[in-house]
Amino acid sequence: MATFSIDSIQQAMRSSGMIPVFYHADVETAKAVLDACYKGGVRVFEFTNRGENAFQVFTQLLKHAEQYPDLMMGIGTIMNGEVTQKFCDAGAHFIVSPILKSEMATVCAKNNKLWIPGCATLTEIVTAKDLGARVIKIFPGSVLGPGFVSSIMPVVPGLQLMPTGGVEPTEANLSAWFKAGVVCVGMGSQLISKDIIEQKNWAKLEQGVKDALALIQAIKK
Amino acid sequence: MRFSKQQIVSGMKGAGIVPLFTHDHPDDAQQVLEAAYRGGIRVFEFTNRRENSFEVFTHLLTISKKYPDLMLGIGTIMDGATTKKFLDAGANFIISPILKLEMAEVCKDYDALWIPGCATLTEIVTAKDHGAEIIKLFPGSVLGPGFVSSIMPVVPGLQLMITGGVEPNEKNLTQWFNAGATCVGMGSQLFTKEILAQKNWSLLQQTVTECLEIANRVRK
Repeated sequence: MATFSIDSIQQAMRSSGMIPVFYHADVETAKAVLDACYKGGVRVFEFTNRGENAFQVFTQLLKHAEQYPDLMMGIGTIMNGEVTQKFCDAGAHFIVSPILKSEMATVCAKNNKLWIPGCATLTEIVTAKDLGARVIKIFPGSVLGPGFVSSIMPVVPGLQLMPTGGVEPTEANLSAWFKAGVVCVGMGSQLISKDIIEQKNWAKLEQGVKDALALIQAIKK
Repeated sequence: MRFSKQQIVSGMKGAGIVPLFTHDHPDDAQQVLEAAYRGGIRVFEFTNRRENSFEVFTHLLTISKKYPDLMLGIGTIMDGATTKKFLDAGANFIISPILKLEMAEVCKDYDALWIPGCATLTEIVTAKDHGAEIIKLFPGSVLGPGFVSSIMPVVPGLQLMITGGVEPNEKNLTQWFNAGATCVGMGSQLFTKEILAQKNWSLLQQTVTECLEIANRVRK
């Protein structure tokens, strides 16, 4: 199984500017989504721990992902240290959480894994940074908005922020976020829509991913 | 020169506006401070956002001795050690964009006014329980006047200073004061890039005076 340094994951997030965030209870659907995203150019993928059998689906996805040696597979919606350890043991390359839970920082440090906590205030962000977070998720992104990011960036220089939640794959929305100073966005249902999943329209998903990544490259120039 | 916490709080409340500013040139920083003073400012926040902010701030403290009623505080302080350093230098009060409890301890030791930055009611009440008399709401324009009017009835007696995106016009100031703000912090909207680039200190003085007048008018 491939392993990646914290630096290389951080670098890949920054250069692509986007990670898809996805959950599905059905392994075959999850595999198809992962394949389409990879073909569309994704190299950092977040599967989320949101269902009963998320652990089983994730371990099978990890196995499936072995055919893509440059694909970094993280697990999101992790809420405590114990579950962090379980997914680290299973081979997750990085850990994402919607909350700031300091015990997760300890577990990630011990396992030498990238820890991406979710924060919603500057106090939480600075606490996360002091606990060793190198990338911080801003959640819920669309509630806080790009104005939140542009207000705090001058106060704490060097923050690496990834808004997630309600980020849209449109030029207007993406350029507002990147102009505000984010390094990367997480994109879930806006990218991998219900319709696409229902219709199993993987070609459309691949194209949507390609378009979103190209849009971000153009905006970052 | 030291002011009591009560003097500083009432100075903030009286003016309704606390300017906040940073600059890495001591001379320009001094010009801004003095123009703001001539414009009517008596409580001024310099922010610790540059490599040499400590040196510039100590220069301003020296200058402020010319103005016995000028209260000079330091903002963008993030931890206890830096709090101590600036209080030792003579800062009259400490402002932070975050809630960091070790800063409360240091300020208590010095009997200095601690103004932490908060963004949720939980953070605000935690700050209050740790002795914060005035709490900075940051980033103000992201939370909005509706945030203030929602929480004021829940925790009566809160004294909030709104910072971040506050605009020096009647409409915006009215919204904040009607919602229940005690005062607003104003930075780049007051000390505009143009004014600083042109070193137009008389325009700065005039802008400050006008802004204080608006703040007075809308609070009547």
